[in-house]
Amino acid sequence: MAQRDIEQVIIGCKKGDEGCFTQLVDIYGRRCFGYFYRLTGNRDLSEELLSELFAKLVEKIGSYRGGSFDGWVFTMASNIFHDHLRFKQRQTRLLDEHSKRIMSQSAGVSSGKNDDFDKLQMALVELDSDVRELIMMRFYSQMSFKEIAESRREPIGTTLSKVHRGLKKLRELMG
Amino acid sequence: MNNSVNENLRELLVGFMDEAAARQTAEDIEKGEEILGANQSPQPDERVLAEVKKNVVAALRQRRTVVFQRRILIGAVAAAVILIAVITQMHYDNLQNSRQTRIVARSVSIPSQVWEGADDADVTVLRAEIENIQSELSGAQSDSISTGGTNSAAGDLETELIEVNGDMWKG
Repeated sequence: MAQRDIEQVIIGCKKGDEGCFTQLVDIYGRRCFGYFYRLTGNRDLSEELLSELFAKLVEKIGSYRGGSFDGWVFTMASNIFHDHLRFKQRQTRLLDEHSKRIMSQSAGVSSGKNDDFDKLQMALVELDSDVRELIMMRFYSQMSFKEIAESRREPIGTTLSKVHRGLKKLRELMG
Repeated sequence: MNNSVNENLRELLVGFMDEAAARQTAEDIEKGEEILGANQSPQPDERVLAEVKKNVVAALRQRRTVVFQRRILIGAVAAAVILIAVITQMHYDNLQNSRQTRIVARSVSIPSQVWEGADDADVTVLRAEIENIQSELSGAQSDSISTGGTNSAAGDLETELIEVNGDMWKG
């Protein structure tokens, strides 16, 4: 979809147009689901988080003040994911353990359809949670490194370094 | 991954490392992202997306209802505030009027209360002084009548009339 069309959809959403919000689900629904799925490894949970994300979008669309809409949407998605983790775990240090547990459970359930997919999902579990999230943000939001660094409030060199390290390790694991 | 995002990757990396390292790092990143592209995540069911759309529409309608209810509430509160202000003003006006009436009534009633208070020592003294002044005045008047040259005839006439009057009563 062209940038101009997306802008029209955003304007419509700000006016509370139901059709425009439906289009927004068509544009971002699959990408955001993929983002949640790669972070949680759980289909049901990803659907739940997706639903929560769009409910939040309806609520917060008025606060969007320009800039990268992809960045705005995925920053919200990231916040929802972190809220979920906080709600479930209450302790950030258990994040890795939690993700590994969920992902390994999900791998057992969804195995058989696509071996490459399972391999990637299992390789992702081996990455540091922050790096994994950063790589997923980069891949699904299609934001530039500069935008990602700004949204994460960290130096761009740090973002580049983390992504490089993570993707290099992922290549090795997928070998 | 779309190419536009990766366009300046090497240029970006050169800011942090030498040309060769930047080229190598950019290659690592691109190849890593190719793996992600080749292993797409599962797609959500159409049923799920339809459900999300349904929830979004429901949330929008609920939001509209809330906004409408909020506007009604604001209107009702504004009307109540105006009503209270009007009632308060009316009550204040009534209070002012009755206070003025009471002040007038009190200013009228004070002298009678003071003068009727026979036990009050000040009032008794005042009354005695007034009576004293009255008697002195009447004494002075009678002196002037008895000693005044021009009014002596009138005084005599008056004395005569009094005597006549006394006689009349005496029979």
